[in-house]
Amino acid sequence: MEDNVGTKSTSFKNFFIVSLFLVVVAGFYLLIGQDKTILPSQLIDRTVPKFQVEDLLDNSVIRSNTDFEGQITLLNVWASWCPACYAEHPYWEEYAKNKDVVLVGLNYRDSKSKALKFLKEQGDSFAWNIFDQNGRLGIEFGVYGAPETFVIDTNGKVLYRHVGVVTPEVFESIFIPMIEQIKKGL
Amino acid sequence: MSDKRVKIISLLLTSCMLLFTQVAKSTIDSYQFEDPEMEARFQQLIFELRCPKCQNQNLADSNSALSMDLKSIVYEKLISGETDEQIKSFMKQRYGDFILFDPEMNRDNAILWFGPIVFLCLILIIFIRWYIRNRVNNND
Repeated sequence: MEDNVGTKSTSFKNFFIVSLFLVVVAGFYLLIGQDKTILPSQLIDRTVPKFQVEDLLDNSVIRSNTDFEGQITLLNVWASWCPACYAEHPYWEEYAKNKDVVLVGLNYRDSKSKALKFLKEQGDSFAWNIFDQNGRLGIEFGVYGAPETFVIDTNGKVLYRHVGVVTPEVFESIFIPMIEQIKKGL
Repeated sequence: MSDKRVKIISLLLTSCMLLFTQVAKSTIDSYQFEDPEMEARFQQLIFELRCPKCQNQNLADSNSALSMDLKSIVYEKLISGETDEQIKSFMKQRYGDFILFDPEMNRDNAILWFGPIVFLCLILIIFIRWYIRNRVNNND
């Protein structure tokens, strides 16, 4: 009987040690194995930073953080100097057909003439564009390149940041479920 | 071959080589400080802060546009009287702990700090248990 209890206690100890060992290895793997080229956004679950910046197409219009309230927004950071933005831009025309979201562009560190030429040649599917000429608003959003896309809920809260091109696969597998989730909560 | 011909060929070769040279150009930051102590703080901060775009470089070494912007922000904040901690906190709020080359310990990275110690202890425990069991078996 005592031997039985002793064996059980030893196997429990062994099980505990092996489990702890595996947890440590898994923890290391998860932390070290992350793609370090993709930085997690610090804005997740926080409201968009306060700002007042002029509109790209009409400099008499001032865009601000309150403009995101009451709608589901996809905020796309783009620039005429960004090659990947040329690849991504035609997709936005498709995504604009989704009437549940408002597409907003953030023209990042660009010259106005080049940005306008980009929109003229590539098309403009955005409801409006923020003109962040000096990149300071981009820094407020923690932007470190283009393209980047933020999913913002109706309260102006950032739910997700995608770094890189929003391909139709990304849109279908990540963005659509997130949009549906926001709609359910309304 | 006459001397004159050698000179002409040399001249032509040199001209050809010059055609393929490239002009190395670098931008030099011009941050003006009246206080040398503040300048030292600036240098230290841009040494400690990592460029989010070119991730293996600090702001001091990086010439990316984002690094230039972040350096300008560090400069403006120093001039306006902010402390080093306030400036680092500003950067962390936007780019996370990643922006610090020497990250502070927190809940998310605790395993990286304590993991190796726990790992070593586990190995030691396993080894000692194995050793004791083997010795008992040998004595039997």
